Amino acid sequence: MKTFELHLPRTIDEALALLERPGHAALAGGQDLLTELKEHIATPDALVDLSGIQGADAIELRADGSLSIGAGVTLAELEKHAELARRWPVLTEAATSIASAQIRSQATVGGNLCQRPRCWYYRNEALSCLKKGGTECLAYGGMNKYNAILGGGPSYIVHPSDLAPALVALDAEIEIASREPRGARRRIALASFFTLPAEGDVLRENVLAPGELVVAVHVPAHAAGNWRSTYLKFKERSSFDWALSAVALVARIDGARIAEARVVLGGVAPVPWRSKAAERVLAGRPIDDSAAREAGEAALAGAEPLSGNAYKVPLTKGLIVKALRAIGGRS
Amino acid sequence: MSRFPVLLQDEPKTPPAPGKKWQKVTVAENGQEVEKWIEVDAAATETWPARSEMRLLNHALPRVDGPTKVTGAAQYAHDMRAPGMVYARFLRCPKPAAKILSIDTADALKLPRVVAADSLNVERTSYLGQPIAVVAAETPDAAEDALRALRVEYGELGWVLTHERALADGAPQVFDKKPKEGESPSNRVAERKRGDRDASRAAVEAAPFWTEQIYSLPVQHHACLETHGLMVDFRGGTEAVVHASTQGTFTVHGDAAEALGLPGASVRANVQHMGGGFGSKFGLGVEGQWACELSKRLKRPVHLLLTRADEFLFAGNRSGAVQKLAGGMAADGTLLGLSAEVDKLGGVGSGSYPMQPYVYKVGQSYCAVSRVHTNTDSARAMRAPGHPQASFGIESLIDELAYAAGLDLLEVRKKNLEDTVYHRQLERAAREIGWFEHPHRSRPGSHQAERAVGIGFAVATWGGGGAPTCQVEIRIQRDGSVTTSCGTQDLGTGTRTYMAAIVAEVLGLPIAAVEARIGSSEYGSANPSGGSTTVASLAPAVLDATFQARARLFELLAPALQTQPESLRIGVDGLLDTGSGRRLDWKQACALLPAEGLRTNGQWKEAFQGRGVHGAQAAKVEVDTLTGHVRVLKMVAVQDCGIPLNRLALESQINGGMIQALSYALFEERILEPWLGAALSADFEGYKLAGTLEMPELVPLIDDADTRQVVIGMSEAAIVPGHSAIANAVHNACGVRVRDLPLTSDKVLMALEKLRTQS
Repeated sequence: MKTFELHLPRTIDEALALLERPGHAALAGGQDLLTELKEHIATPDALVDLSGIQGADAIELRADGSLSIGAGVTLAELEKHAELARRWPVLTEAATSIASAQIRSQATVGGNLCQRPRCWYYRNEALSCLKKGGTECLAYGGMNKYNAILGGGPSYIVHPSDLAPALVALDAEIEIASREPRGARRRIALASFFTLPAEGDVLRENVLAPGELVVAVHVPAHAAGNWRSTYLKFKERSSFDWALSAVALVARIDGARIAEARVVLGGVAPVPWRSKAAERVLAGRPIDDSAAREAGEAALAGAEPLSGNAYKVPLTKGLIVKALRAIGGRS
Repeated sequence: MSRFPVLLQDEPKTPPAPGKKWQKVTVAENGQEVEKWIEVDAAATETWPARSEMRLLNHALPRVDGPTKVTGAAQYAHDMRAPGMVYARFLRCPKPAAKILSIDTADALKLPRVVAADSLNVERTSYLGQPIAVVAAETPDAAEDALRALRVEYGELGWVLTHERALADGAPQVFDKKPKEGESPSNRVAERKRGDRDASRAAVEAAPFWTEQIYSLPVQHHACLETHGLMVDFRGGTEAVVHASTQGTFTVHGDAAEALGLPGASVRANVQHMGGGFGSKFGLGVEGQWACELSKRLKRPVHLLLTRADEFLFAGNRSGAVQKLAGGMAADGTLLGLSAEVDKLGGVGSGSYPMQPYVYKVGQSYCAVSRVHTNTDSARAMRAPGHPQASFGIESLIDELAYAAGLDLLEVRKKNLEDTVYHRQLERAAREIGWFEHPHRSRPGSHQAERAVGIGFAVATWGGGGAPTCQVEIRIQRDGSVTTSCGTQDLGTGTRTYMAAIVAEVLGLPIAAVEARIGSSEYGSANPSGGSTTVASLAPAVLDATFQARARLFELLAPALQTQPESLRIGVDGLLDTGSGRRLDWKQACALLPAEGLRTNGQWKEAFQGRGVHGAQAAKVEVDTLTGHVRVLKMVAVQDCGIPLNRLALESQINGGMIQALSYALFEERILEPWLGAALSADFEGYKLAGTLEMPELVPLIDDADTRQVVIGMSEAAIVPGHSAIANAVHNACGVRVRDLPLTSDKVLMALEKLRTQS
């Protein structure tokens, strides 16, 4: 890897001051960045190690029923949190589905949300793809088994985060710190943090600007009622793998019916892909396969598979059926 | 190879020497089995003890070097360090073929800690990732930096990476060879033919049930956890040690000596432990040549272990195969005809294929095998070269025909297997997997079931015979300590353990009382471990050495005990003089030895080993028809091997075969970008190996009905049938026949979708 300077700031402000400088990159758990460095996909001059910053690694459950998760919380801490598992199974299941136990012990929530694409064209140093300043998305006319069927163009990456669909389904907000004005924090809906390649800068996957840092995610309290949720991730290889497709489903149940639902897909689009059409289908319906099948049709209606990933359409429909069954079986 | 070996000679016409006879043996050359005729003792000698009398052999023995491995004390080539050592790395050509116009090393050599940078003087590369330059530096990172500082000018050359493109009209030619008069250039080279094409085709088409299909398999990687390479410890003196990760201790030191410019006797190979070879690690290789060259020049130890990407690009692979098979079956299940046209995909090499029909008997058959070149590295031997490919073709075809004829999949196999050992093994596998309670034995299950369960079968064969290659020494010291040594290597099969166990068994000692020493070219000679030939070459020599040691012990002790050697016996109760009834324990007996103790050398004995093994496997899978996910629930393997020297190690080899086959069935595949000429699977993210969650219930069964009182190698056979059984089980579960491995969920799901639209 390219030689770099390592900074160890003690406070967020120190970190932000460093991150404003050109060629400085934030280092959290390092599970993505270090591989990018080793493969010369990223070549920063300096790394700003966030591990010495106090207070970024707390999981806070508030009396009003809301939840805050520090960006520095590891995936292992998230998956082991019993109260989270009870109240937000979608989050625990998403965390548990990620990579291996070894990686989860290092990887952080902030890093998971900000990780770069896994597309094998992007990760191949010898190839110049759209995501690396090239002129075309090589997956579009190439080997695109793992690429997007929804929201693609001009880049067809899929967003690799499993936490993102789960958190979007929980209407989470993301808190971003920046230096100017001093100590400024902004909170935006996590759903609007991620950008489609056609909308935002194609070289990036989110709105985080240089000199900014993700510090926390906030999950609002559920409205009163019986809430159930699940994260169903389909991996080609179960032992550890990325999602070929995933469904985050959060629903309020009223008797035997779904009062309201959030359906967010992972592994099929360049962003966590919320399907309001599917949500509309589910609202007011009994929890059964026919509702799930209709929701699946609605969610995938706009899918535009590439030459090698048409399977993601029936796969995702199948996962929506399974997700609905999973929450149906839960009290 | 076992049924279709390359026979180099006919039986010699000259009569054998007195007391000898001619014997055909199999030897491994570069991992491939070849047959040779040798003279062996005609008369029978004392042989293996009866299995019922065995105390150690035929039992489950934990491997003697297990503790050193699990504690990390075992030293592999990767672990070797020496004062002043430098790390070397190769630069790989990033294109599938290119002219190398120039390589400028000046910038690289200016970097700190970089001590060497050299062109390999390749004018034209012929495969993706071919090494073209080498660097050495005092740290691995500095070596990586040096690679990036090399300035290379490439010239364009045409290339092909896939079977389809290699055979397209006007395709670039991998080899610049003039075609024969009247022929156009082609990347396809015909190799072997057997049988009558027209007659076989006619037999197929005349059969009441016939089909023609293409069965293809991807290139599989050996995926050795320890990459290829070695540490050459030469510091400018008169001697060198080569610590190599190799399948052949004696395939390394000779060439290393030549490369180092030292006399052969001054270079020692050290192979105490090695992290997997599977057929890919013989000889010095380009890595060894350059490690020696750099070491010689720098007068410093050189550590040159390939990176994982190197390993995926130029360290060999199992050749892919595209098999066009047409088969015809009678209403009673008899295979009437088979026509096979097979392309092997061995890159710039040849690849392997054992011809069709594989194991099964067919009325009229034809098989033509060609190789189709692509600009990828040469295939190498890989555990049972060619057999898994041939197995997948024939076993898939048999199932398809059996369903067409409405026949029981087990019965149809027995019908076409002449060797009844397979009948016994298949029936046992069938019982163990639950075949007789299974609801669909002659037609597939429904794709409408959400969780469809299916069972599949397949069989295997291998040679596994030995050859007179090993010299084994046994030393017994006056304090009673016993060592047995041979320069052989352990690929992970437990060589040290059975060596110690054989000696201990015969001398009546606990296994811990015998130390087995291997992995040094200073010890007696040994064959490279290829083609499952190690045990049948080595174990007979160990047994012979032990018999000789016992005889010598009796000779030396008899005078001291005032008896005759013939009156002495040895066993778990120590030494017994049957004349006087006097007993000595082992230490007391050895104390009577002369100061130098005793040493003997054992040779291979033909009668102690055999050849020819059979295996049958069954797999039970569950297909999730909503997602296409295939979960293997259970695998059963029934495997013969003559005398089971160490049941635990054998079961471990059988499990390993099933696991490797499962991974081949479900995931493993070299993925190349056919248009841009890049490797997309040159790491363990893109090249998927089965992990812990994919592991089914594994049932390794040693076929104890095989009463042959000889030792035979069997590890290759264990990998042959598993993936075929899994593919057959998927078809049996839900009616989806995937004819191109791997059986990834996308293929299965799309095939299910097709069935759903049809119904």
